[in-house]
Amino acid sequence: MRLHPFRLVEPESLSEAIDAVARLDGEARLVAGGTAIVPMIRLGLVKPDRLVSLNRLSPLTRIALDGTALELGAMATLADIERSPVARDGWPLVAEAARRVATPAIRTSATIGGNLAYAEAASDPAPALLCHDAEVRVAGPGGERVLPIARFFRGFYEAALEPGEIVTAVRVPPAPEGARTGYVKFTPRSAEDRPLVGVAALLVLDEAGRCREARIGLGGVAPTPIRAGRAEAALRGEALSDATVRAAAETAAQEADPLSDLMGSADYRREMIRVWVRRLLVRLRA
Amino acid sequence: MNLTFTLNGRPCATDAPDHWTVLDLLRDGLSLMGTKYGCGEGVCGTCTVLADGRPLRACLVLAAHVRGRELVTVEGLEVDGRLDRLQTAFAELGAAQCGFCTPGMLLSAKALLAERPAPTEDEVREALAGNLCRCTGYTKIVEAVLAAAPGRS
Repeated sequence: MRLHPFRLVEPESLSEAIDAVARLDGEARLVAGGTAIVPMIRLGLVKPDRLVSLNRLSPLTRIALDGTALELGAMATLADIERSPVARDGWPLVAEAARRVATPAIRTSATIGGNLAYAEAASDPAPALLCHDAEVRVAGPGGERVLPIARFFRGFYEAALEPGEIVTAVRVPPAPEGARTGYVKFTPRSAEDRPLVGVAALLVLDEAGRCREARIGLGGVAPTPIRAGRAEAALRGEALSDATVRAAAETAAQEADPLSDLMGSADYRREMIRVWVRRLLVRLRA
Repeated sequence: MNLTFTLNGRPCATDAPDHWTVLDLLRDGLSLMGTKYGCGEGVCGTCTVLADGRPLRACLVLAAHVRGRELVTVEGLEVDGRLDRLQTAFAELGAAQCGFCTPGMLLSAKALLAERPAPTEDEVREALAGNLCRCTGYTKIVEAVLAAAPGRS
């Protein structure tokens, strides 16, 4: 079955790409790896008459240090991120979350910029990037701007991008000294699915085992990926006893706003938040 | 649009409509029928080919995006009339039944063995994730990939 026909525009530079998108009003769609937009076109969910490909913007595939931060070009694939020695050494949470997206042959095409711009609530990388307080760099007709990732997700499949804006990079600050991090993903059917619940956590414990810093990112539990701010507050300054961990997991379940869908009901999602937040915290306290 | 790339070790220059995927290009443009159309959504894996040695879903990737790259399809595994050791192992160990998933299995395994010549069983299973087989139950496929691993024999 063929795709609905479209004309493909392949700009050679970012400014050309911005012009191309701006000239096409609302009818243009961007394509990076294609792993989201191509099935959407095939299923008839969108019928763009033009697609603007970012594939020739090779500077955007860069993965490198930017001062103390990790800079992921928007066109870096998830396979590149999971294999990047810089990412694996300094940002293992990000590399691990990238490695949990879909399957190997998807990750060689799927890009980090595409993953974020698609604004999938059940993104695997987003909770990890939320824990790192990452910043999303965006370029558009009005110039460049930088958005904290917590403000990048506006709603269900809706990113805070203005018409004509393109994600160019994600800047990921380092974890605090001595941080322990982890990502767990629960899929009730098949390992390559989007997570029913995805939990990323970053903890810093002092000598007495009390939480000096606690960050929890959740995917699949609300219209957008979120930070579990109240659960984090419940952990700060506390030792990670079973009771504290259980209470934090309960708080995370309460502050989530899950949807019901074919994968699971809202109540089931809440229950799985309790389970997986607790399991991850228990793993990280060891 | 004009496209040039390397296909199974040979230069290939062709023409394709803008909206064609790599799978349309291979099957309809170049009459290479080894790469299968399964789900069309990147879920089943039978359209998997290699691009620069890495597995790629031909049904999801636009043909324009393989310009300049090195593509290998199942037709390119055989060299000088000799089957790849993965193909031999699949045949000898009964890792193919209906055969519809086999091209994707072979190419996913090929990419794995190039990166990890002595993979563990877990690594094989992870590399084959997203290649659905409805006949074998996977056991013989995993055995065949392990048997073909150059670092394990």
